[in-house]
Amino acid sequence: MADDFEITDEMKAQIGQETEPWTYEVTTTGVRMYARGIGSTDPVHYDVDFAKKQGFRSIVAPYGFLGTPVFHPDTNDGTFGFPRRAGGPRLNLPFKGLLDGGTETEYFDVICAGDVLEETSHLADIKARGNMVFLTNESVYKDKASGKVVAKQRLTSIHM
Amino acid sequence: MTQAQQSVITEEMRAAVGVEGPPVTMEVEKTNCRMFARAVGHSDPIFYDEAAAKARGYRSIVAPPGFLGTPIFRPGSGGGVPGEMGGRGFSIPYKRVLNGGTDYEYFPEVDSICAGDTITARSKIAGFEETEGSLGPMLITKRETTYTNQDGKVVAKMYGTLIQY
Amino acid sequence: MVQVYFEDINVGEEIPQLKKNCSTQQLVLWAAGSGDFYQIHYYKDFAQSTGLKGLIVHGALKNAFLGQLLHDWIGEKGELRRFGCSYRGMDEPNQDILCRGVVTKKYQDGGKNMVELDVWTEKPDGKKTSPGTAVVTLPSKA
Repeated sequence: MADDFEITDEMKAQIGQETEPWTYEVTTTGVRMYARGIGSTDPVHYDVDFAKKQGFRSIVAPYGFLGTPVFHPDTNDGTFGFPRRAGGPRLNLPFKGLLDGGTETEYFDVICAGDVLEETSHLADIKARGNMVFLTNESVYKDKASGKVVAKQRLTSIHM
Repeated sequence: MTQAQQSVITEEMRAAVGVEGPPVTMEVEKTNCRMFARAVGHSDPIFYDEAAAKARGYRSIVAPPGFLGTPIFRPGSGGGVPGEMGGRGFSIPYKRVLNGGTDYEYFPEVDSICAGDTITARSKIAGFEETEGSLGPMLITKRETTYTNQDGKVVAKMYGTLIQY
Repeated sequence: MVQVYFEDINVGEEIPQLKKNCSTQQLVLWAAGSGDFYQIHYYKDFAQSTGLKGLIVHGALKNAFLGQLLHDWIGEKGELRRFGCSYRGMDEPNQDILCRGVVTKKYQDGGKNMVELDVWTEKPDGKKTSPGTAVVTLPSKA
């Protein structure tokens, strides 16, 4: 293969560096906005009484929605919302282009409005293909009150 | 108003003045307070951080000025803000519309508006006025929305002016 | 934030200005924050199809800017009682919007220190786009 972008040992050493935890809140307004954004009409995402009658604690977060990170302009990225925090990978990639390469979510419980989750993440993989770098991040979401893992997410980003 | 100018205010419209519309439930939460504050560009931590808000004597994160909660959204409903731009249900000859402005009134001695509050909004037409201006004859519709919190306290009022000409 | 006191302000005095300049991204954030997804604020072709030159800043966002202008001036001990404006002129993204206010009245009412102001947003050429008023209370030094 023609020269791939060089992944240095320093970059590989970022793999596994765990971030400090961050709070993600699942609110009724957040659940409804996400459901509205995907165009869902299922009342289980909108109507609290309906969701409770179905046996849920409250309206159910649509698949892919794991809450909103607590936001402050000083700590969170203004475009993507993610927290800038201690721990985690420190990479300085010289690329302007950024694309979402995909998301996989694994659930261990139903996530509902009212849930407060704690998320930690680490870089799981870094690969180059030509002049493109693929980063895979793994996040673990725990219910803040019980400490139980409720979801895991793998996110791939493409830098070019 | 010149003698020749015909009033466009109908009996139906006169009868609507003061009649309150259906209640709309608005939720004030941490995430939507922060989102509003972020969109405006507020820097005061009471709009973002619960500990900072409590340290200043508030129950929780404070709703920024102009934010009165998010109406409960139902798919197919359109999800508009109650009160603003309302009052266009009547058939009148003026086809053009201007939002004449919005005023918010707060009652801090009654209560603040904080994350965790559930607000009930009810709107009514407060009155109609007719004037003649540079744009020609105009109908001014004044609308009032009252915001009552979960404890039955009126915590805010919104006054809207709609200009049709 | 420095606390301002009733005794220190004078009628005719201008309060510290607040300069805003909305990127189109901010107009999208406002759509999310306000729940108003009207396309004239983020979809240029649509805005032009309604007769506008391009994207415009939502009036309610300018009103909220005036809310911030007042909130930041009154400090922790002040109270915002009433504010609002008329949406007279249009403002566009990527252009300075200057938020200003002038004290018009100061008086006591029921033991409270009341201050009334004229507030407005203006374009770089000085044209006022959202004229409005406000009523606040300020603490006493004593």
